[in-house]
Amino acid sequence: MTFYETEIKRIRNSCYSNDKQLETVIATRNFIDNNFEKALNLDLLSYLRFTSKYHLLRLFKKYYGLTPRQYLIDIRIAKSKEQLKSGMSVTETCFAVGFESLGSFSTLFKAKTGKSPSEYQKEQLSRSA
Amino acid sequence: MKVTLISIPVRDQEKALKFYTEVLGFIKKKDLPLEGGNRWLTLVSKEAQDGPELLLEPAPIHFEPSKVYQDALMEAGIPYAQFDVNSVDEEYERLTPLGVTFSVKPTVMGTVKIAVFNDTCGNNIQIVETL
Repeated sequence: MTFYETEIKRIRNSCYSNDKQLETVIATRNFIDNNFEKALNLDLLSYLRFTSKYHLLRLFKKYYGLTPRQYLIDIRIAKSKEQLKSGMSVTETCFAVGFESLGSFSTLFKAKTGKSPSEYQKEQLSRSA
Repeated sequence: MKVTLISIPVRDQEKALKFYTEVLGFIKKKDLPLEGGNRWLTLVSKEAQDGPELLLEPAPIHFEPSKVYQDALMEAGIPYAQFDVNSVDEEYERLTPLGVTFSVKPTVMGTVKIAVFNDTCGNNIQIVETL
């Protein structure tokens, strides 16, 4: 067995031995993946897993390194890129991926990608033309 | 500052190019000649062609400490780099018949599944799927 395999075993035992917690965070992440366009909040997510809000928040952050909100925003931005590439308008894209205002969508998109949604779309469409 | 390049040390650039494109499925992006038969050779992933580039760098041939470090990582089974995949199991099933050897078979580690293979150019490479 290599050094790396030994380390994998050791780390798995020390960090990932709580199956119930893992099941909770993995199911939460899958739920976000499948419902990112809906109005999601911590109340709903914790209700689904019968946990307290702050416990779920702590667990998610512990195992994924991000809060559920940060993860949700990343998913929505990734999906909005796909929609913009396919030619959907900025406004339609904003609501299709679950953002509630065009202003917050544009601000977040620019912060995460360095470009506004319309700049990104123009660039992508001219590239594929 | 932006992250645009990840360098992978390789013993043979041509062999690495073949493995990373024909077997793993990356796409060649830049290939320009430098002195002494060395090349500035970069790849991008097929699904994210505007993403970061992988630089296949002949460092271990020209800089002894690079070779020493690469050998030590190989010996310890430690991956030099890791790539995201949609399914570790599918990649394992796809790559094994192509002759790729895995030192770590698909293994769940908490919220991820990982596997480690030999890139035939001196490195262990890890693939990761987030669960």
